[in-house]
This record gives sequence, C-alpha cells and structure tokens, in this order.
Amino acid sequence: MLKTGRNGKISSMVNRYRIVWLCIITFLVMSIFAPHFFNLYNFTTILETMCLNAVVAIGFTIVIIMGKLDLSIGSNLTLGAMFVIGFEPHFGWTISLLIAVISGGIVGLVNGLLVAKAKIDSFIVTLGTMTIVQGIVYLYANGGALYTKDTGLGGWLQQSFIPLFPPIVLISVIIILVFEGILTFTRYGRGFYILGGNKETAWLAGLKTDQYLIQGFTISGMTAALAGALFAITLNSALPDLGVSSTMQVIAATIIGGASMAGGEGSVVKSMVAVLTLVILYNGLTLLGAGNSIQILFSGLILAVVVLQESFSLYQRNKLRGQRVELLKEFSLKR
Amino acid sequence: MQSANLDELKKDSRSLELNTLSLWISKLGIFIVVGIFLIVGPLVSAKFYTLANLTTILQTVAILGIVAVGVAFVTYSGHYADLSVPSVMAFAGIITVATLHYGIAISLLLGILAGLSIGIINGFVVGVYKANPIIWTLAVEYVLNGLMRWIWGANQIYPDLHGNNGRAASSFVNLARQYVGPIPLVFILLFCAVIIGQLILSKTRFGRRLKVVGSSAEVAKFSGINVPLTIGIAFLISAFAASIGGIFLTSLVKLGVYSNGTGYDFNAVTAVVVGGVSLAGGRGNIVGVLGGTLLLGILVNVLNLIGVSQLYQTIVEGVIFIIVVGVNQKSLRKLGRDDA
Repeated sequence: MLKTGRNGKISSMVNRYRIVWLCIITFLVMSIFAPHFFNLYNFTTILETMCLNAVVAIGFTIVIIMGKLDLSIGSNLTLGAMFVIGFEPHFGWTISLLIAVISGGIVGLVNGLLVAKAKIDSFIVTLGTMTIVQGIVYLYANGGALYTKDTGLGGWLQQSFIPLFPPIVLISVIIILVFEGILTFTRYGRGFYILGGNKETAWLAGLKTDQYLIQGFTISGMTAALAGALFAITLNSALPDLGVSSTMQVIAATIIGGASMAGGEGSVVKSMVAVLTLVILYNGLTLLGAGNSIQILFSGLILAVVVLQESFSLYQRNKLRGQRVELLKEFSLKR
Repeated sequence: MQSANLDELKKDSRSLELNTLSLWISKLGIFIVVGIFLIVGPLVSAKFYTLANLTTILQTVAILGIVAVGVAFVTYSGHYADLSVPSVMAFAGIITVATLHYGIAISLLLGILAGLSIGIINGFVVGVYKANPIIWTLAVEYVLNGLMRWIWGANQIYPDLHGNNGRAASSFVNLARQYVGPIPLVFILLFCAVIIGQLILSKTRFGRRLKVVGSSAEVAKFSGINVPLTIGIAFLISAFAASIGGIFLTSLVKLGVYSNGTGYDFNAVTAVVVGGVSLAGGRGNIVGVLGGTLLLGILVNVLNLIGVSQLYQTIVEGVIFIIVVGVNQKSLRKLGRDDA
C-alpha cells in the first residue's frame, strides 16, 4: 500500500520535531538509568556545557542554511578565546571581548569575500582559513596556553542567581533566540533561506546574494569567536587546541538538528536542542561509567541514524516521484 | 554611409581567442607551482638538490600520496571527500597487526579487506540512498573511531618482534623500510598508484562513466549508467588506497592505534584539490594529484630549509592553498569551462 493521509501527517510530525523527540528520549533514558543524573546541579552543568557549541552553531547553521560550509569555526573559536584572555590584562574585559568578536568577524569577512567575490568553493576557502587561523593562534600564544588572574567575571558568569540559568546560559539562550527571531520573522532573515534554496531565484528576486553570503560568513566568524571568548572567560584560561573537537561536534549537531547540507533548511534553536541532546548523552554516559570511546561511538551512531533516516525517506519519496498517489487510491477503491 | 555603418555593426567585436595564460594554467596546472618551487629550492639552500633531501621530501608525502589518489576518485565523482579516511587507515593497520599470527600475507589481506568493508558501507549508503557524503563519512569516522578506542584503546597492539610470530612481525615492520634496489618500496607503490589510477580514470569504461557521473549524476542516470554502482566503486577505491596507506603507516610507527590516520583526511583533500581535481566533480586527473602531493612535501621542505618556524608554516600553507585553488578556478572560468 502507498502511504497517504494520517500516516503521512504523523511521519511529517516526527520529521519536523525529530530533534525534540530525540532530546526528550535521551533525557528520559538518562534520567531512568544514569545515577546522579536527575538533580539541579547536574542540569546546570549540562546547560553550561551546552553554551559553547550552541553559540558556535548559530553562525554555522546560518552558513549551512545558505548551502555553504564553514570549517573554520573551530579555529575561530580558539582565536576568540585566545584574544579575550590575551588582551584582558591590557584593556579589561569589555574591550578585549570586543577585540575577540571583531577579529572573528574579520576572519568570517575574509571567508565571505573569497566565497562570494572570488567564487572559490566554501569547503576549500574555510579549510584554508582553518589552518591559517590555527597558525595565527599558535603564533600569538607561542604554542602554549594563556591564563588570567582576574577570575571575577568568570565566577559571576557561572553563579546561579536564577536556578538552572546562570548568566552565561541566559546570555547564550537570549542570543540564540534573537537570531532565531531574525531568521524566522524578518525579511532580512528569510533571505538566507531563499538564498540557500536557490541562488539563481534569490538573485532574480532582487536579493543581494553576494552581500548575504559575506554577511552570513561574518556572523559565523563572530558567533564562533564570541562562544570561544565566553567559554574562555568561564575557564579563566585559553588552550590552543580548544576548538579542534568542536568543529566536528557542531557540524554533527547542526545536521542532527535538521539543517540540510543542500541549503535552505535549518533552525538555530533546533541546532541548540541538538547540541543539548549530545551534551545530555555525553553527561549520562559519563555518569554510567562509559569512557570517551563510547561517547564518540554513540554520537557517531546518532549522526549516522539521522543521516540514514533522512536520505532513506528522500529515497522513498523519489521512488514515488511522478506517481499521483490520490488517483491510484481512488482507482484501487473503485475496483 | 549607412551601409558602412552596417558593416561596422556586423563586425563582431567579441574576442574568440582564449586567454593564453589561463590556457597554460589549465594545461599544466599544479606543475607550474611545483616548477617554481623546484627553481626556488636551490636558491634557498644548497642542500635542496641532494639525494638525501629529495628522498626526505618524498618520504614525508609518499603515504599521503597513496591515500590522496584514492580520495581523488571520490572527489572526481562529485562527492567532495571521504572523511572516514583516518579511521579506515587506523582500522586496516590494527587488523593487520592483530592477525599477524596467521602469517604476513593473510594478515595483509585481512587488513585490506577490513578497510574495503568500510568502503562498501560508504559506497552503498552514499550511492544508493544519496546520503550527503561529507556528513555520512564523518558519521562513519566517529563510529569507527569510537569502536577502535573502545576495543583497542586500553591495550595498544604492536607487532611483537620477540614473540612466537617474530618473523611475520619483523617482515611487517620492514614493510615501510623495504628497499627495491636503491628505491624505497613506498615510492614504487606511490608511483604505481598514480599510474594505475590515471589509467583507470582515463582509459577504462569505469573512468569515463565516473566522469559523466561526476559532471552530472542526472545525465548519467538517463544515459543508462548504473550511478550507485559507479559511486560505490569510487568509495571502494578510496577505502582500498586508505587501507594500503594505513598499513604502511602502521608499519612505520610500529604501533596499531586509533589515532594513526589523524589529519590525513584534510591533507588528502588539500592534495587532491590543489592538484586540480574540481570539487564540483568530473574534472582533473591523478597526475595532478601527484603534483599536489609533491607540492605539499616540497613546501614544507623549503620552509624548513629557510628556517621558518613551524608556527608560521601552517599560515603559509593555508595562504598558498587558497591562492593556488583560486587561480585555478579563475582560469577555468575565463576559459568558460567552469560554471561556478
């Protein structure tokens, strides 16, 4: 039988809120099985851990929505972390945070210019800037880590004035919600989706496609640097290989969150929920006594299952392409 | 008067000549840059053209070259890159070491088969279900890496030279240190891989099909080409090359460990793309990939000879990477051979 009607609706519901279901299921499983998982202190830890990758995922999701790829997020994140810690003794937190975010933005701007104006594939451009920025980071700190003595701000960011939501979580979530609002409700934000859906159409519709590309990559650079900077402030230190594992985790989370590599699909909040899911998974598995290996294995499995499910449903839909399901049903009823 | 005007109008002012520079760039491609470095090399240091130095250059990139030849097939088929390469390399190496007690020949075979099995999975999922190649191979990389850490993380395995299988172990360790006459075995393997790869790509029916699939999968489907099979074979070749590279790497470091292939994914992509294989698919050749690989080796060598610190090297590498690929794409666009 061909699937139609209610069945289709249910599967579309599952598809649309897939990541939310996944998150809830992971949460429930861990609540039941993992010892010491279900308490306020642990939840706060989970939310704090989420912040880094969730904020990086903002810009990355926008780049994915445009149908491009940004591999330089990991290096950008480290750059932000390094600069905010490195410049703090000279300029204080505010200026150094600004410097960090702006330098991330400059890297993003270069990415965007090379992609939009020089028309080089984004995979190549960002692979190049990834190594360049990582080199700059090593050069800046001479290959070592940086520390700060001023631990006041870091402590304040992690203090729980409101239960579950220390300032760093609050700031991150607000930034994410602002970006989600821009992407969903403003004309400017919808432009990214149109651009990702079909560049030609976007251009014909009067969008300044080059400017969108440049701005998208700039945002990606800035949010990555901001995330790194915030994380470094809470740690009171910056390591030169901070962002190495982040790149792949953010890519995985964004795809699990429902963004499509083909472009035109994706949501910042869903990416955040995906990051949260992975963090819950890691946290729970750690509490269950599983090592790093199991965590990597499981995040790989989740990514694999999501990709398989997505491409399999597309595969089946493509099989039905050109068939008019409603007519076939009528025909079979008459008989 | 009017007819004169018309004559003037009729004259087509558009240039039909192709841009000579772009033509040369597209013909020679990466070997221009390699040539420049070969000229600059001796100016930088008198040691550049010594046999020892040239051997060093080749030795640093030989395994990368073998892996890159495989990845080139995936890129050529329009599927960006095989990011599962590092895990496949480590996996093949570990399996080979773990089965050394069956004798060297069987263990090598099993190692390559282990790598190929990953290639089959990749090829099947990407070919038949059209999963995004970057994301899928990334997922496979994660799963395989996690598995290897889980199973062999605590007890790293190494070829035991003094145990019961001492002979098999020593012949495995010697694999990467073997010489055929004056030439290391790895070099011969690299050049064999390049020649065979080039022949497959340009002379066989599979190569021509791969070109059509890479240029446009839709067109290939309608001209009766078995697209999933073609893509699957491309991934299989990539896994095969990665397993051979991985076995040599394991033999070189004398240790089977999950982190053996780290970094080979992006380095291989760099070599492939710098070598002129287009990410859009269907354009490029394996000889170019050899050029890209050599460039990476020569670049590092020249920078070392100048005395540039490791910290600056990555920056220079990144800049050169973007410039080379950018110039290549621009010249292709000028010739009207790239629609990007």
